[in-house]
Amino acid sequence: MKRFLAIDLQKCTGCRNCELACSVQHTKSFNPRRSRIQILKDETRNLVVPMVCLQCEDPLCEYACPNGAIRQNEKGILYVDSTLCIGCMNCVTACIYGGIELDPRTRKAIKCDLCGGDPACVKACEYGAISLVEAKTEGLKARREGIDLAYQTIGMKTGEVIE
Amino acid sequence: MTFPYKGYAGYYLDVDLTKGKVHKKELEKEWARLYLGGSGVAAKILWERTGPDTEPLGPENVLVLGTGPLTGVLFSPSGRMMFASKSPLTGVWGESHVGGFLGAEIKYSGFDFVLFNGRSEKPVYLFLRDGTAELLDASHLWGKETNVTTQMIREDHKDPTIKTGVIGPAGENAVLYGSIIVDFYRAAGRTGLGSVLGSKNVKAVAASGAQGIEVHDMDKYFEANEIEMERINDPLWTESLASLRKYGTTDLVAIINEIGRLPTKNHWTGFFENADDIGPEIIAEKYRIAQEACHGCAVGCKYIIRVNGGKYPTGPIGGPEYETIMAFGSNCLNSDIESVFHLGKRCDLLGLDTISTGKTISFAMELFEKGIIGTKDADGLDLSWGNGETQAALVEKIARREGFGDLLADGVRKAAEKIGGDAWKYAVHVKGLEASGQDPRAHQSIGLTYATNVRGADHLRSISCIEELGYPEIAAARFGEEKAEAILEIMSPEYKGQLIWDMEDLYAIVDSAVICKYGTMWPPMYYFDTFVNVIPPLTGMTEWADMKFVRRVGERISHLRRAYNHRLGITRKDENLPHRLLKEPMPTGPSKGGLPDLDQMLDEYYEYRGCDKETGYPFESKLTDLDLDFVIEDLKPRGMTR
Repeated sequence: MKRFLAIDLQKCTGCRNCELACSVQHTKSFNPRRSRIQILKDETRNLVVPMVCLQCEDPLCEYACPNGAIRQNEKGILYVDSTLCIGCMNCVTACIYGGIELDPRTRKAIKCDLCGGDPACVKACEYGAISLVEAKTEGLKARREGIDLAYQTIGMKTGEVIE
Repeated sequence: MTFPYKGYAGYYLDVDLTKGKVHKKELEKEWARLYLGGSGVAAKILWERTGPDTEPLGPENVLVLGTGPLTGVLFSPSGRMMFASKSPLTGVWGESHVGGFLGAEIKYSGFDFVLFNGRSEKPVYLFLRDGTAELLDASHLWGKETNVTTQMIREDHKDPTIKTGVIGPAGENAVLYGSIIVDFYRAAGRTGLGSVLGSKNVKAVAASGAQGIEVHDMDKYFEANEIEMERINDPLWTESLASLRKYGTTDLVAIINEIGRLPTKNHWTGFFENADDIGPEIIAEKYRIAQEACHGCAVGCKYIIRVNGGKYPTGPIGGPEYETIMAFGSNCLNSDIESVFHLGKRCDLLGLDTISTGKTISFAMELFEKGIIGTKDADGLDLSWGNGETQAALVEKIARREGFGDLLADGVRKAAEKIGGDAWKYAVHVKGLEASGQDPRAHQSIGLTYATNVRGADHLRSISCIEELGYPEIAAARFGEEKAEAILEIMSPEYKGQLIWDMEDLYAIVDSAVICKYGTMWPPMYYFDTFVNVIPPLTGMTEWADMKFVRRVGERISHLRRAYNHRLGITRKDENLPHRLLKEPMPTGPSKGGLPDLDQMLDEYYEYRGCDKETGYPFESKLTDLDLDFVIEDLKPRGMTR
């Protein structure tokens, strides 16, 4: 069963502990800017917008990559093959969720790979805001709710879950 | 790079504002080893660079911005940073700590400390990014309120991830208690450090960085961190944690009023009849819209409010902390919570310390009640207790030093000197710093904390919650069964000297780490062993695995900060309490009749601290033992050692 991260916006306090944990997992240092999950904030509007790869069924990033660097592994997890990435940022432009970014150090695309199935951010979140869910109705709903804010900022309304 | 330890960015900035130059320097190894970071390192720097001849608002003063090895790494509750300087409000040691995200961002930008020297000709702000630093023109920001300043800086760089520490009009106008506002609604409020920045023509510090922080041994550090996080999940902590997450510090309004320690009517009493009107429940029910946390924090005590309609509507802002509610609420007999929200918000936007502002206004209200000043002196304002409109008008006047506000902008000590007569009796301060929201007439040991705190009447250098909230196991474990009973007795002065001495050294390390007081102060879970546990794997400083070494660091920092004040003339006679808190028995409420036995506690404190009881000066043997021979060299010729 395909799995992905779902974020409960009501529980997220914007503390960025997930970023710390993610950066340790992937860079062996504390460096939130190189984290695969990013928390954007707009304090004046009380907006806390967690952004992470949603493991889309029809991934725009994959289509946009001219070099075939974004692929699915045997567990169905989308990942970036950094040996193939040329840092062109087409994927960054293509993703409407802000789920893929350029690593400021390597200048290659980075995104959540679910830590191979046991995400560090889920464990690091003391508020229980991040969970790893399956692509069934509940999980799809949870994922959809987690991007409500992103949808609102581009003027779209909450839609129905398409299974 | 030759700086050997991890957990630090490894560099600091020596900014020469007069010449408009920034100098990037490697961090000194001994700063880390002997003083850890934050407050400790700031003490070393300010000891060397400032002294009796330093005019706090002159170009010769130095403002230190500091982080510590635990800033920006996985450790909860960290996410903090600090500022230190010779305080314009008190004329002695000044430091102020703040949460948010700036501290971590400064480290990710590649720096542990920034030292501001001199005075810039034109308004500037310091911009840090990925190991580089530049002074940028701030003419367009000067005069702007704090939130607008941050928005404009983000706009200038087209980067919403920039974190800032900014001053408002109050800091520009040399209000002696101007604050530094971090990330919109967190404040390094106390001792007027925003005005030190203002005097240097520095409007802001802004940072954004992608430099990682490396760890000496990541696996071992994670193990150590897990042990500490388990302490936080201790059942003792469960209730406190739940309360902090739901109410933030506003819960203290209820808890503290219950024990009769909530400063009310300019500290006249410790019990406020209308506390429910400004208490946690009403805020949580009617105004609170979200919970927030500082960087990497598992507590998340910050909350966001919105007020629809009424006299003071507002969009989302950081809700006021306990101290703000106390200062403008109970302390001024104002039970209109929406008015208190408004006052807290205006202070944040103008860059004013809410405690000193509220306490200075309550001081004026009492002088008015006693007939020492009249409406005419106050630009026609009605200074009756609880008049929220007058409070709001005064906040604006203070920030701009207009009319009566100009007098109040100097704080209660100087204002009382200027007004003369009996005014001093109502100036509730120690060393010139307006008292925070505690009262020694209801909690003995806070009297000693206020008296000995190097920055003045404030709880955050050594408050003990062990007896305030009752932690018998912890009292016994730290001080032995035979002393535990007396320590837990909130109005007993017995062993409180030892208790506060111990707390002061512990907090000295907390303030150098730099972490939050939660977890150490309330609840008292973290202790010296926490640092023995986490600092070595994080930094590679092997000596820190030795408990004795760690305790000596705490003592060293405490002594160095004390020595800094001695050199400025502070002795035992200044380690005192204001008339009201020392001589007027608590008139009403649950702690009615209470008075602190300050002398008894002070004697014991000096004994543990290694100081002469008559003067408070340190013994040379103690200083030598703490590797502080350079302090002896300076203080001995001045006759300030024993």
